Amino acid sequence: MAAPILEARNLSVSFGVGRLTVAAVEDFSFALQAGESLGLVGESGSGKSTVLRAVTGLNKPAGGTVLLDGTPLDMPRGLAFYSAVQMVFQDPYASLHPRHTVDQILAEPLAIHRVADPQPRILAALDEVGLGPSYRFRYPHQLSGGQRQRIAIARALILRPRIVLLDEPTSALDASVQAEILNLLEQLRRDLGLSYVLVSHDLAVVAHLCERLIVMRGGRLVETTTAAALRDGSVTEDYTRAMLAASKGFTRAAAVNP
Amino acid sequence: MKPPLLEVKDLHVRFPLAEGMLEAVRGVSFTLGHERLGIVGESGSGKSQTGRAILGLTAKPGIVTAKRLAFDGIDLLEAPPRLRRSLRGSRMTMVMQDPSYSLNPVMTVGQQIVEAYRGHKRVSQAEAREAARAMLDAVKISQPDRVMSLYPHEVSGGMGQRVMIAMMLITGPDLLIADEPTSALDVTVRIEVLRILDQLVAERGMGLILISHDLDMVASFCDRILVMYAGRIVEELASGKLDEARHPYTRGLMGCVPKLADDRHPLPVLTRDPDWAR
Repeated sequence: MAAPILEARNLSVSFGVGRLTVAAVEDFSFALQAGESLGLVGESGSGKSTVLRAVTGLNKPAGGTVLLDGTPLDMPRGLAFYSAVQMVFQDPYASLHPRHTVDQILAEPLAIHRVADPQPRILAALDEVGLGPSYRFRYPHQLSGGQRQRIAIARALILRPRIVLLDEPTSALDASVQAEILNLLEQLRRDLGLSYVLVSHDLAVVAHLCERLIVMRGGRLVETTTAAALRDGSVTEDYTRAMLAASKGFTRAAAVNP
Repeated sequence: MKPPLLEVKDLHVRFPLAEGMLEAVRGVSFTLGHERLGIVGESGSGKSQTGRAILGLTAKPGIVTAKRLAFDGIDLLEAPPRLRRSLRGSRMTMVMQDPSYSLNPVMTVGQQIVEAYRGHKRVSQAEAREAARAMLDAVKISQPDRVMSLYPHEVSGGMGQRVMIAMMLITGPDLLIADEPTSALDVTVRIEVLRILDQLVAERGMGLILISHDLDMVASFCDRILVMYAGRIVEELASGKLDEARHPYTRGLMGCVPKLADDRHPLPVLTRDPDWAR
């Protein structure tokens, strides 16, 4: 197997000090191969989002290392890291600057990375996410949730990263809009040869987008499995099985005999 | 003949905005007996506004009009505010989406349930506490005494939602409107909360309106489903007959959700027809 492009080894993240210390992530490792799409699944508080935040350097890890192309990364992460790894956040209502136009939002990463001639890049980025040039000078409040998430994806892709970290990219969206965003993510991955790390609580979404997935609980790894195993139900851990059963929905038969 | 529990005929909810009149609900009609009715739709379809209008919780400056809006034979639009207030919380109640926003953060869980009870029943503090304890027990909270002394931030999401349900059911209402009662919760907790709701509704013979965006969840829980789109009911379905859905919106909504059982790439997307909103 080829060397992974992104790897975390024995990652730990904790919040608070002294007796109030909470270990959000403990001794967690994962490896992402080039072109792969890896899912992190778990319930709220399982530490899945914290893993992504630790990888991007938004949270300082208490222990462990994050490696990009086999090279350990320092804090703070440099420009080179951010041109290779970008992130899309959960809530498109909160992750876009309310007083910046789409143009300003997309120009910012280009300015930080001193990209010459940003204009065509902005137009191309809008086109990639299926929005026309007419959206360029709008403010976020003039866009729907799905359009906002497209802008957030455009902002992540405008620097041509190889790896995109997706933190619940569709959980704030309606089901029909979720389908559009999932299709877009799939198509972009194919066209641009991206690798994804997708965090979600929705097993069906993860199985749709990822080949391999890691189930987390209480900051620790429960099971590494595949989308295929999830589909045919051949998962080994009880917790994964419980999540799988729960995702199938409410059944009255079970309600009678809890 | 006994009147139905709830009659809604041609309900409209309008919000006068600077840009003109926003029609959130446009002519919704249904009747409800002692049954479970699901209202499904996407954000902005008017499903929550329908629920709020029934309870009289429409935010200002919203305008509610209807040909008839009656609860157990009482005309709600003609009823004086006093009567509506006494109905609300005692005979018709609502469980909101997110327990962390809808519980009072500076009162203990116990105090809040006691307050809800004593607001409608003339009982002593001790009796109300006893009733609250029994109710927490009914929503499967294992140590009711401990939980009563906790503040909302000290309880988990699932427990908070059970506390909300306990608070809403303690007065023994005839009608419960649950607005996305489980969407702020984790999948495994969701089932548990639904199960408790299911059991209590069955035991007490209440009427239930479950409002949600999740068609599958509603279909597995309710007897009857109304599908709303752009402020109107586009389709009414019996829950077992989801496959017989005719409206392209309902079919599209069912089709566009990724499912573990079948792997489709790309997912079918919903093409909205302007005619649906007409």
